[in-house]
Amino acid sequence: MNKATGIYIHFPFCVKKCNYCAFLSFNADESVRREYANALMKEIELAGRSFSGQISTVYLGGGTPSVMDVALLSLIMKKIRSCFDVKPDAEITIEANPATLGIKDRVVRAKLTAYKYMGINRLSMGVQSMDNNRLTFLGRIHTAENVERDFAIAREMGFDNINLDLIFSVPGESTSDALADARRIIDLGPEHISCYSLQLEEGTPFYRMAEAGEIREISDEEDRKTYHEVVRLLRAAGYEHYEISNFARDGKRSRHNSLYWNMSDYIGLGLGASGFVNGTRYRNLTDLDEYMKAVSEEKLPVMEEHVNSAFDNISEAVFTGLRRIEGISYSDAVSVYRASDGAEDIKGNDEEVFWTIFKDAREEAEKFSEQGLLIIDGEGLRLTSEGIDISNTIMSCFV
Amino acid sequence: MSYLDNIRNFSIIAHIDHGKSTLADRLIEKTGLVEKRDMKEQYLDNMDIERERGITIKLQTTRLKYKANNGEEYILNLIDTPGHVDFNYEVSRSLAACDGAVLVVDATQGVEAQTLGNVYLALDEDLEILPVLNKMDLDSARPEDARAEIEDIIGLDASEAPEISAKTGMGIDEMLEKLIEVIPAPEGDPDGKLKALIFDSYYDSYKGVVIYTRIFDGRVKKGDIIKMMNTGKSYEVTEVGYCIPGTVPSDELKAGEVGYICGSIKQVADARVGDTITLASNPTDAPLKGYKKAQSMVYCGIFPAEGEKYENVKDALEKLQVNDAAFNFEPENSAALGYGFRCGFLGLLHMDVITERLAREFDLDVITTLPSVVYKVVMKDGSVLDIQNPSNLPDPTLIAHIEEPIVKADIMTPNEYVGSIMSLCQNRRGNMIHMEYLTKTRVQLHYEIPLNEVIYDFFDALKSRTRGYASLDYEFLRYQTARLVKLDILLNREQIDALSTIVPEEEAMAKGRGICEKLKDIIPRHQFEVPIQAAIGQKIIARETVRAYRKDVLAKCYGGDITRKKKLLEKQKAGKKRMRQFGTVTVPQEAFTEVLKLDDGR
Repeated sequence: MNKATGIYIHFPFCVKKCNYCAFLSFNADESVRREYANALMKEIELAGRSFSGQISTVYLGGGTPSVMDVALLSLIMKKIRSCFDVKPDAEITIEANPATLGIKDRVVRAKLTAYKYMGINRLSMGVQSMDNNRLTFLGRIHTAENVERDFAIAREMGFDNINLDLIFSVPGESTSDALADARRIIDLGPEHISCYSLQLEEGTPFYRMAEAGEIREISDEEDRKTYHEVVRLLRAAGYEHYEISNFARDGKRSRHNSLYWNMSDYIGLGLGASGFVNGTRYRNLTDLDEYMKAVSEEKLPVMEEHVNSAFDNISEAVFTGLRRIEGISYSDAVSVYRASDGAEDIKGNDEEVFWTIFKDAREEAEKFSEQGLLIIDGEGLRLTSEGIDISNTIMSCFV
Repeated sequence: MSYLDNIRNFSIIAHIDHGKSTLADRLIEKTGLVEKRDMKEQYLDNMDIERERGITIKLQTTRLKYKANNGEEYILNLIDTPGHVDFNYEVSRSLAACDGAVLVVDATQGVEAQTLGNVYLALDEDLEILPVLNKMDLDSARPEDARAEIEDIIGLDASEAPEISAKTGMGIDEMLEKLIEVIPAPEGDPDGKLKALIFDSYYDSYKGVVIYTRIFDGRVKKGDIIKMMNTGKSYEVTEVGYCIPGTVPSDELKAGEVGYICGSIKQVADARVGDTITLASNPTDAPLKGYKKAQSMVYCGIFPAEGEKYENVKDALEKLQVNDAAFNFEPENSAALGYGFRCGFLGLLHMDVITERLAREFDLDVITTLPSVVYKVVMKDGSVLDIQNPSNLPDPTLIAHIEEPIVKADIMTPNEYVGSIMSLCQNRRGNMIHMEYLTKTRVQLHYEIPLNEVIYDFFDALKSRTRGYASLDYEFLRYQTARLVKLDILLNREQIDALSTIVPEEEAMAKGRGICEKLKDIIPRHQFEVPIQAAIGQKIIARETVRAYRKDVLAKCYGGDITRKKKLLEKQKAGKKRMRQFGTVTVPQEAFTEVLKLDDGR
C-alpha cells in the first residue's frame, strides 16, 4: 500500500446539468473555460513544486471534461507532464460523455485522436442507461445510439480500456429494465463497468420532484433486488466484482479509483477537488472566483484541510477497504496505522493490534458476523453480499 | 420620623419578555451596592436555561440605596417574582412581601395575559401599582395606546406612567422618584411579636438554607430560636442580614425590612415559601394568610439513558430537590426503561427546567417519559386513587369512574386570531366560558380545559397560530369526571410501559393512530419488520409497520471525497448511541417525549 500516487483534476463544466446530479458543475462559455484552464495550469505548477514522487494515475473528472476544448486539455496535460513525473505506464483516464465528443463521426474521431496523442489511455463514459426515454428523464443529452456510435469509434481508434457507467433504480425503472440495460452494456463489451443505484441528492431536481410527490423513489427492497441481480448478470458475463459498485474484466480494474480504497496519496486539482497527500486530507475552494483569485495570488486554492491522526488513517483504511470485495486485511490496516505520525506502539500481531485499536467496535462487528453480514477471519474483514446492502451501518462501527 | 418612612418594598411585574430583568439590572447598576463589573457574574449568569429562553424564573432579592431629589436616602428592596404561570403561588408570596409593584408594560406590545394575571395577584395583596412604559427607545413604541390599554384593561391611571427604556437607561431616575411617591412605606411594629414571611429560599452548601424574608412585626437576630408556624419546625438562627445582593450579615432584621435568615436548615422544603416565621419563645398569635403546600400538577418519569448510572441521576435529583420545594420524586421501575424516578412538577416549564438542568449542570443523559397529570380514579368499592403514572391504572373493570384536573385558562389575543384559538381550544376539549373585548382589538377568552390537553404542546400551538401574539395564563380549577382509557403501545408485540398514556375514549382511535405514525417515523428500520400497535386492553386499535431495511449503502465516493463519507459514517455512529434497546427493537430516546407532540394542525 501507499506506493502509487494519483492526480485528480476536476472540470466543473457540463453542457447541461442532469436531473439527479449534485456534483460541482455548471454550464460555461469558452472564455470561462479558457480562464479556468489557465488557473488550473497555475495550480499544477504550484502543486508540482512541493511534490517530488512519481505519478501512477491521472484522472480527468467532472462535470464533463470532454466538453473542455481539445487545445486547452492538451495544454493542461502538457503542464502535468512538465510539473510532475508521470510514469510511462500511468493510467490516464478521461470522463467522456456520449454526445459530448462531437455530433459528427469525424469530430468524434478527431477528438479521440487528440486524447490518444495526449497520452490518455482510458475512457470512462457516462452511459447511465440504454433506454432513450429513461435518458431523457434523467436529463442526459445523449441517446443509446450515441453510446453505440461513440463506443465503436473509440474501439476503432484503439482504446482498449473503457469504462461504462450505469445507473439503476431510476424512478419508474423495474429490475428487468435494469437488467436489459446491463445486457446491452455487456454486449458492447467494455473492460470496466460501474453500476450505481440512483441516490436522490438534496438540491437536485429529482429531490425536489420526490419531495413534491411527482416521482416515487424506488423502494429499498426493489433497489437491492436489482443490485444483486445486476451483480449476478455481470459476474456471469465474466466481470469481476471487485468493489461495491465496480466490475472489471481481464484484470482491468480502475487503478486510479483503487487509490481511494487503499489509502494511497492522490493530489486533487481544480475547483472543489479533494486530495490526500502525506496524511492530510484537503478540499479545494468551491467558488470559481475565489479559486481563480487564490491561484492568481500564487496560493494553493485549498478551502479546508485535516491532518489525519493515526486513528483517522486506520479508520479510513477500514471503511474504504470494506468497499472492496476482498475487504481489508489486518496487516494492511495496521501498517497504515503504524506508518502514521502519532501511532501508539501497540504490542502483538496485526490481528491483536487491530482489535486493540477497535476494541469498542468488536462486539458489534461480531454481531454482524453472526448475522452473516461480515466475515471476520484470521486475515481480516470483508463484507458478505448481504453485508454490502447495509455497509454504512457496518462501517460506522469503525469511525 | 420613623426609619420605616425611608423604606420601599416592591416587585416588578412584567410579561415574559417585556424587560423585567433588564430593568432590574438597570436599577441595580444605578442604585445598588454592586460594581457593574461584578454584576454580570452575580446576576446574568444565574441560570443558563432561563437566559436562553428569555424568561426569568428567579432573580434575587436586592437592596438598593437611592438618594432622592428631596435629599433623603431611601432603601429600596426589590423583591423579584418568578415570571411564569407554573409559579403563580411563588409570585403571590413574593408580592405579599411587598407594599407596591412596578408594572412594566412593553410600549410596543401593550398588556398581555400574564401581566394581567400578576396584576390581579398584586391587587389581591392590596399593593399600590406604578405602571411604567418600557422600550420607549424603539421606533415601534406606541405609548398612547399602551396607556389606554392600561386604563381600559386594568383600570389603573396611566396618565403619569413614566416612559423609560430599561435598555438605554432612559427615564430611570424619573421612575425612581415616582416610585417613592406612589409606593407606600411599610408599616409594622418593631417591638411587637415576630411575624415574618418566607417569600423565597435557596440552599447554600455552607450556610444551609438561606431564607428570604419580609419582617412584618418584631425583630430577629442571631441566636434566636425561630419557629415555622405551618411546618411547626424550630431552628436556631445562625445569621441574619441584607441581600445586597448576596448575603451581608447585620445585627438584626426588624419590622418593615427585607433580608435573609439562616439557621442550619437542611432542605428548602423545611422553609416553605409562604410560611410564617415567629419566635418559639414568644410566638405571634396567627400566621400570615395565604400559605399553600406545593402541589405537583404534572408528572413524568426520568430514567437513566443507556450507559448512565442510576446513582448519578438520584444524586442529581436530590441536589435539585434541596433547592426546589416544588419538585419531588420517588423511585419508579419500568419494564421498558428499568429503574428510574417518577417526578412531580408545578407545570411543564418547571419540568423542562429540571430536565435541562440535569443535562447541563450534572451532565446526565436521561430519558424523560410523556408528562402526565394526576387522575382521581374512583373505584367501585368507593375508594379513590391518585394516579399519575398511566401504567398504574387499575383494571378497568374495577373502576367506577375517572376524574381529571380541569384548569381555568385565560388567553389574551389580538382579535384577528380568535377564530383559530377557538378551534384549537375546541380540539383540546376546551369549554368556552366567556369572551370579552378588552379594547377594540384585544380580546380575552376564558376557557375551561383539561390540564392534560394543556401540558403537551398547547402553548407552542397557541403561539404558532397567533404568530406569538397570544398569551396564556392558567390555574387549577377542579376535578371533573371524564371518559378516559389507557392507551398502550406495543413494539414488535411487546408492550412498552413507558409509552402508555391515558386519553379520552373518543379520541383513543385518533391518538393511537397518531402515535403509531409518529413512532413509525422515529424508529429506525431494523433488519426485520417491526410492527407498532396501539391497544386498549386486548383490543388493537391502530397498527403501523416499520419495514425491514434492506439498504444502507453509499453507491459512490465522489471524486475521492473520503471526508464527506466519513462525516456521514460518524453521524451514523453518533445516532446509534442515542438508541435504547427493547428486546430486539432499537428505539431512539427522544421517542418517549416526541410521540405526543402530535400537533399536526390540531
